[in-house]
Amino acid sequence: MTTIVSVRNVSKDYMLGKTVVPAVREVSLDVDEGEFLSIAGPSGSGKTTLLNLVGCVDTPTAGAVVVTGHDTTKLSERALTDLRLHTIGFIFQSFNLVSVLSVFQNVEFPLLLQGRLTKKERRERVLGLLEAVGLSEHTRHRPSELSGGQRQRVAIARALVTRPKLVLADEPTANLDSATGANIIDLMRDMNRRDGTTFIFSTHDPKVMSHANAVVRIADGRIAAREPAGAAAGGR
Amino acid sequence: MLPGRDAVRILFRIAFRNLTAAPVRTAILGAIVLVGSVIVVVGSSILDSIDRGMRTSIQGSLGGHVQVYDARSEGALELYGGLRGESLLEPIEDFSKVKEVLSKVPNVRQVVPMGIDQAFVAMGTTFDGALEKLREDVRRMEEGDRSAERLRLYDAHVAHVRRMLGLLGDDIQAARAIADLESREITSRMDEFLAVREARSDAFWARFEKDRYGGLEFLENRVAPSAMENAFTFIRYVGTDPEAFFRAFPLAEVNEGERIPPGRRGVLVGKQFAEEWLKLKNARRLDQIKDQRDRRGKKIAKEEELQRWVKDNRGGIREILIQLDPVQAEALAKDLRAALAAPAEEELEPLLQRLFATTDQDFDEKYRIFYGVVAPKIRLYKINVGDTITVKAPSKSGYFSSVNVKVYGFLQFRGIEKSGIAGMMSVMDLMSFRDLYGYMTKEKAEEIRRLKETMGGKEVDRESAEAELFGSAPQAPAQARAAAIDDRALMHQGGKRSAGSNGAADRVHGQDEIERGVALNAALILDDPRPSAIRRTMKDVEAAAAANGLGLKVVDWQAASGLVGQFVTLLRIVLFTAVVIFFAIALVVINNAMVMATLQRVKEIGTMRAIGTQRRFVVVMLLVEIAAVGIVFGLAGAVLGGVVVAAIRVAGGIPAVTDLLYFVFSGPALFPTLGRGPVAVSLVIVLAVAILSALYPAFIAMKVTPVEAMATDD
Repeated sequence: MTTIVSVRNVSKDYMLGKTVVPAVREVSLDVDEGEFLSIAGPSGSGKTTLLNLVGCVDTPTAGAVVVTGHDTTKLSERALTDLRLHTIGFIFQSFNLVSVLSVFQNVEFPLLLQGRLTKKERRERVLGLLEAVGLSEHTRHRPSELSGGQRQRVAIARALVTRPKLVLADEPTANLDSATGANIIDLMRDMNRRDGTTFIFSTHDPKVMSHANAVVRIADGRIAAREPAGAAAGGR
Repeated sequence: MLPGRDAVRILFRIAFRNLTAAPVRTAILGAIVLVGSVIVVVGSSILDSIDRGMRTSIQGSLGGHVQVYDARSEGALELYGGLRGESLLEPIEDFSKVKEVLSKVPNVRQVVPMGIDQAFVAMGTTFDGALEKLREDVRRMEEGDRSAERLRLYDAHVAHVRRMLGLLGDDIQAARAIADLESREITSRMDEFLAVREARSDAFWARFEKDRYGGLEFLENRVAPSAMENAFTFIRYVGTDPEAFFRAFPLAEVNEGERIPPGRRGVLVGKQFAEEWLKLKNARRLDQIKDQRDRRGKKIAKEEELQRWVKDNRGGIREILIQLDPVQAEALAKDLRAALAAPAEEELEPLLQRLFATTDQDFDEKYRIFYGVVAPKIRLYKINVGDTITVKAPSKSGYFSSVNVKVYGFLQFRGIEKSGIAGMMSVMDLMSFRDLYGYMTKEKAEEIRRLKETMGGKEVDRESAEAELFGSAPQAPAQARAAAIDDRALMHQGGKRSAGSNGAADRVHGQDEIERGVALNAALILDDPRPSAIRRTMKDVEAAAAANGLGLKVVDWQAASGLVGQFVTLLRIVLFTAVVIFFAIALVVINNAMVMATLQRVKEIGTMRAIGTQRRFVVVMLLVEIAAVGIVFGLAGAVLGGVVVAAIRVAGGIPAVTDLLYFVFSGPALFPTLGRGPVAVSLVIVLAVAILSALYPAFIAMKVTPVEAMATDD
């Protein structure tokens, strides 16, 4: 299997006033294509920072992050943006839909930025995805008219619409009740299986972790363990 | 890589949706933009209209398009007068040279000679007039005219004079009653008072029948000076070639009478000047009351000023009474009794009191009665068309020069008839101007020298001349007085006077004579009067003048009009300042609102950045958002501004409440028109301000990192 993400000796420090707060310390991690990887750890352990670094929305203080063969520390701001647009899909903890756009338009948005597909192609792809996430009935609704679970489904559709190689999800179920959360994880898992899209998601919910095929445990900015899903689920 | 068409579409969609998503904010920003746009559109429409009005007024009345005057002049040319009186201009010695050179400059259609100055106009008093009539009767009777008609006139004129003496005596009594009898004013005039008392006595009139000439002399020399009310008045006039003047200035027209015939000496008295200074005060006040009531909607009952005019009118009846001999007075009384439905025995004075005691209810009726019944029987203006008036001015040479000119008519400027700025101006022929101005060409100086030699005249300065004529000649008072009226005697010496002046008044001057001589400035009328053409022609004129050694200063009409011309510039500065202040505030407010909006949207912007939106997209999105507000509300403001402008027109325009406004509006009210210019300017300003105020928020948006998307809501 090919490595899609390679984190090499990465550290990330934040400045909190005059104090240096190390969020991630000398972390190395390889993720293979098609993995459904969970990053687990308590709040403040560095999960989100690690995801941000992998997702090219943040730059490491030291070390290198290689995504689909590109060393992100060597790319310009614009190139990074393009990399995010074409290679990575994002799912956020609080869904982060564009409030003034409809469900359909939110999902279509990355395709418009790419500008590669015709209107007809876009329409087919967006509607196909919305059907897959079970929102065919809600294409014209605004995000504010949807429930949390529905919104996260829209976000998933948006993340997948460009057929990215990698989807990053930062605590995708944290703002959902457990049934809905499980539902969302199932959906992500389905997509992972169907298209072979690599998923990396952070969570501190053991039930969510149990769906992953691998769990990276992180504590105090360091990787504490990398273990297969079974172990994480505690012998499930 | 530019964002694709689809991306642009979504960019616009988000921008517009953001506007509709925050209706209150959009409405506030929109309102600011709208108000700003209305201010600019209405303000500049009004300014443009004023500019046009002023252009019409100045170019059409005195300014022409370009003015030239001698470059050595101490002062600048101020056509409508400056703060310190008339402009101090060095004369152009030979206008014909200037005309010859400048006429050849391309675009110059006409070169009009001018000389603006002030002068006194001597006017006989009503008392003088009455005495003159009486003297005529006496002369005819002494020559043997004993007809019934002559005797009737004589009696009427004697009665008129006695009636005036009565009024004069009453005035003096009233003055003495309130004056300090020991004051110099009273003691120095004691002779006059005694003379008036004497003239009122029956004994005097008994003696008058025996020695009529002697009596007349007493009245003319001892009594008349007491009645010297308003014997002089000031006029401002432009000496010019009347033919050329009327061709050059389309607004100039003769209101009554006729133009000065070609080559003749004469004057056209400014109509507005006549209204204000020459008209019977009571009539003038009635006009003013009428004007205030009709145009301003003022009420006598409410306005102190109008009440004062009514009061002054009741007190000013004497000016009418003094004009009438007993026969005329009785005739007028009869007509007034009928018109006012007054008791049969009511005398003229109470009748006039009744007439002038106007109220809001009966004003229009009484105004009509005044002009229908009273006005035809009295002299309404001190100068009338056909009169010959004596105009005097301190000449360049130091002494007073004086000319007698015929009043051919009243002059007014169409559209700005009621404006004092142009309406005070009278037009006089250039020859008379030169006489008054007193600048002598070499030939003229030579001619005078020769005349003096042949006549054996001697140089008399003003001081000694006065002494000679008034002080030391009590034995010949009649002659002295006649001479005093016409100061020409001082220049031309004795017998030459009447022949000279009559000759001058009657002679027709050739065009060559008119143009070959002094002028103070010249107006150039251009074929193409557009501002750019004026500027170009001014350069050409300067070049031509320099090439021919004319030494001329060349100014445009606006500069030539002095303070008046600066009015629009001043207004522009005021409007500009107001607009700048308004938009500075608008800038801050819009900026603030947009910063708030951007900060509220940080997460959304971060998200967009995270999922692959370039910075540029975000910046453009924000600018489009504010530009949309600018365009939509700017246009709405322009439309609303147009409506306001139209509404002003429908409501009767902006009234010219002051004389200056009357002039610059070129009429009693300004009717602003909406030009393309103001609309375009307002849109550009509004858009520029909107985008400028969105720059900082856009900068903030640009700095939003994708990491912001990851932030949790708490």
